[in-house]
Amino acid sequence: MGCCYSGEDDSSREKSDETDPLIPHPNPVSKPPNGTDWITTSVPSAQTDGQALLTSILTKTAQNIIDVSAADSVVMEQHEIMDKARQYSTKLAVLSTSLPQKKALTLPSLTSQPHQVLASDLVPYSDVQQVSKIAAYTYSAISQIKVDAKEELVVQFAIP
Amino acid sequence: MTTAALTAGLERIPDQLGYLVISEDGVLASAGELENDEHTAGVIMQMVRTACRFRLSGSAEAPFKRMSVILEDFVYVVTISGQKVFVVKRQNSQHEPVNV
Repeated sequence: MGCCYSGEDDSSREKSDETDPLIPHPNPVSKPPNGTDWITTSVPSAQTDGQALLTSILTKTAQNIIDVSAADSVVMEQHEIMDKARQYSTKLAVLSTSLPQKKALTLPSLTSQPHQVLASDLVPYSDVQQVSKIAAYTYSAISQIKVDAKEELVVQFAIP
Repeated sequence: MTTAALTAGLERIPDQLGYLVISEDGVLASAGELENDEHTAGVIMQMVRTACRFRLSGSAEAPFKRMSVILEDFVYVVTISGQKVFVVKRQNSQHEPVNV
């Protein structure tokens, strides 16, 4: 889900950014929390196709499982937590200065004289009626749009 | 602008039944039939945000000054000024003309 003013094109880039840790892991060779370390992913060449397929299924399944018992291995010391918190807040302070002020964009100023605008005459009933009529006609017209299929949508190319 | 200065003008609007002054953080002032009406404030804020996203081609500004929510007996008139949303509930004295 994107924000109101965010471009659609950068959503895929954001997605990959979300999964990357902001601060690189200090000990990258430690046990992964999803417990995939007990699976051997290398497939010996002597194995049959069936076994290779089974191994790949097993690997995929193991990747989708989060091993709760393995989470104990990522226990942090008190000073480590404090250090990380400090690192994150520094990082956040740096990033927040470059962020656009979205809050200001959400409420534009429509008038400098709000009381006059609100006290002026209401929209005439005939105008409201006309707009409703046009909207009803448009809705009716749109609902009658039909696709008239003349040719096959999927065609076979004559490739020899 | 103080809250009293914001609402003084709203009190004098003809046929007004109540009003709300809303900021991003919540309701700043309310009176009459809209007194403490957080629900209406929430609904109006959503409608305002949606309306502000409409852009006519080539225009950077929101192409309206006032939003009117017209019901049979009353009208909500809404505008935005200085990061505040002003909502006034007014009597709708205009009735459907009889088509002969």
